Amino acid sequence: MKRIVSIIILSTLFWTGCENREGSPGITDTEILIGNIQDLSGPIKELGLLIPAGSNMYLDYINEQGGVHGRQIKMLVEDHQYNPQKSVVAAKKLIEKDQVFCLYNVVGTSPAEALRPILEESGVPLIAPATMSSSMADMSRQAAQYIFHTDAGYDLQTRVLIDYILENNPDAVIGLCYQDDDYGANALQGCAEAESNHSISVQKEAFQRGATDFVGQTMNFMKGGCTDVIIGGIVREPVTIMKTAQAMNYKPNFYGLIPTVDPRVGLLAGEVGEGFIAPYHAYYPDSDESGPTLYRELCDKNNVPAKMRGIYHYYGFATAHVLVEGLRRAGKFPTRERLIKGLETLNNWESGVFPPITYSRNDHTGVESLYLLQLQGGKQIAITDWRD
Amino acid sequence: MKGRYQDENLKWIPILIIAIYLFPFLIKNATFSYKYYLYILNMAGIYIILTVGLDLLSGFTGLMSLGHAAFLAIGAYTSAILVDQVGLPFELSLIITPLIVGIFGFLIGFPALRIKGMYLGLTTMGFGFIVKRLIIALREWTGGSAGLQVSKASFFGISIKNDWDNYFLIYTFVILAVIIARRIVQSKLGRAFMAIRDSEQAAQASGIHLAKYKMIAFFISGMFAGFAGVLFAHTSHFISTDHFDISLSIFFIVMVLVGGIGSIYGAVLGTLFIVLMENMFIPLFKDGLSQYMHIEAGEFQVFIFGLIMLLFIIFQPQGLYGMWLKMRIYWKLFPFNPRKRFT
Repeated sequence: MKRIVSIIILSTLFWTGCENREGSPGITDTEILIGNIQDLSGPIKELGLLIPAGSNMYLDYINEQGGVHGRQIKMLVEDHQYNPQKSVVAAKKLIEKDQVFCLYNVVGTSPAEALRPILEESGVPLIAPATMSSSMADMSRQAAQYIFHTDAGYDLQTRVLIDYILENNPDAVIGLCYQDDDYGANALQGCAEAESNHSISVQKEAFQRGATDFVGQTMNFMKGGCTDVIIGGIVREPVTIMKTAQAMNYKPNFYGLIPTVDPRVGLLAGEVGEGFIAPYHAYYPDSDESGPTLYRELCDKNNVPAKMRGIYHYYGFATAHVLVEGLRRAGKFPTRERLIKGLETLNNWESGVFPPITYSRNDHTGVESLYLLQLQGGKQIAITDWRD
Repeated sequence: MKGRYQDENLKWIPILIIAIYLFPFLIKNATFSYKYYLYILNMAGIYIILTVGLDLLSGFTGLMSLGHAAFLAIGAYTSAILVDQVGLPFELSLIITPLIVGIFGFLIGFPALRIKGMYLGLTTMGFGFIVKRLIIALREWTGGSAGLQVSKASFFGISIKNDWDNYFLIYTFVILAVIIARRIVQSKLGRAFMAIRDSEQAAQASGIHLAKYKMIAFFISGMFAGFAGVLFAHTSHFISTDHFDISLSIFFIVMVLVGGIGSIYGAVLGTLFIVLMENMFIPLFKDGLSQYMHIEAGEFQVFIFGLIMLLFIIFQPQGLYGMWLKMRIYWKLFPFNPRKRFT
């Protein structure tokens, strides 16, 4: 009897101790192949060059240190031209033809949303989609179990900004200039939440993606007596609106969402951009945290031109930390399931670039807090603590 | 009595149809990444249905349209709403949606009674912008700018689960679309279309009701686009306004032009050529070549497309189908083919 029991115990220990060594697509003894889909020739193509360059800088750094469990990480980048249809084609190519292990950093909300059916069908995880729409972290949606979002949503950003404005001036009249697409739709959600919380009404003005003329919107904000205007654009939009307002001798306080935290806003806006406030969800590249310090060291080491350094290049660098940590936690013999399970073990994980991240089976949100930066003398200065 | 297609050699048609149905089995054995190629072919098939309809309008009737992406969008959203929100079966959506899109086409046909050429192109382009705004405004049904998830199709009890199943569904309709388009071209309707294209005054003098036939052309073209839209929605499983950009309408025009405007087979060839070129051939050499030409990899694709268009318009205005006809005549007459006749 003892012999039987000991055999059972030993065999149980053996089987639980053994890892399944079944091969997974994109994994060889020496390499892990990752797929990245960017806008290389569409409306936001400048991001398509900067984000993967930042990611590659960190991945090269990891590879120089021996890679992840002895494997070098290689990233393939495809172009979707900010078109969801082309995003699907690119994902199909990466998954079916190139046999990547996982997808990472697909830029844009609709190009990322379009991939949900493919993710569900193939079981391929998508790490850190490069969109701040909180819909990516909505666990009730299709294929949500395969998507690990990192960014604070536009809804949270808008809500935090409105809270801040009203804290400083309870009588503020707030305007929101939003892009009339999924970006703006998510910002409107946060705005609606803040309106309900504070029992206020925000004046909303829409603009089309790629718009260059904001006279109408600025005029309407002026007519509405807005003392504080939030701009949901990237670089051109806040700069043009602030310059247009200056030409009209209209001087409200201006705010932007995270995509406006770009050094070019300060450079192009000049003195009119002084005091511009925007939220941010990672340690700022100029700060003394470990991640930003490493970022600056690697930029110097790799001779990254000054014009490339900025939040988008840094964004690629920062999100690559989450990817690498997921690959580490997937173990020596990674499978896609193990990558998902590995990421779901992140519990207040300090990356050095983002505030502590926690993922679980029911929560793939990533960063859920923000702080505010203000343009002072052409530099972004943190003016608040983390808020959520 | 002379048959409709008596002058044509139709023996190769059944062989081609069999080849179309056998093709997936061939690539399944040839490559492990056959699913990717099937998806590309499926999208090409959907676009073929649309460009065949566009060719009936632009190539045969001479009415320019830069709004076919909008027709595709109306078809896709209508089917998504009918099937997923109203609860109609997919088969019924395949009938109702093209009719609805056809009516939109019919309405767009009104301006065509007074304006033509580039002005009509601009009007249809404006229609595209209106449709985009409308989709965003009707967010309760369309999901607005956030897009809409679409269910998988089920065709007479057969669930269309993946690209493999979809291929057979789509290409069955591609074959039907080509047959119907050819029947239209060869009919009294098609002859009226061509008469309008060649000379509106002469057509009117011959008793052709210009308004009626122009609007019929838009209606039919809209129906083809609507049909493509249904298949598009249930193949992509996600649709948003970003799918149906103005550049897509221009893309459709390029497909028809490259294939050979005013020829149904030309539309098929042009669509296949552009889709395969974009997804299979350009990626093969774009990264390597772009290093020498100092163009970013993404821009290189746009550069190649521009070049193809330019070369076709200058050297081969009859398109790929015209090229094929020239080659056929050349070999038929070989060696008695004076060079001058074919240059």
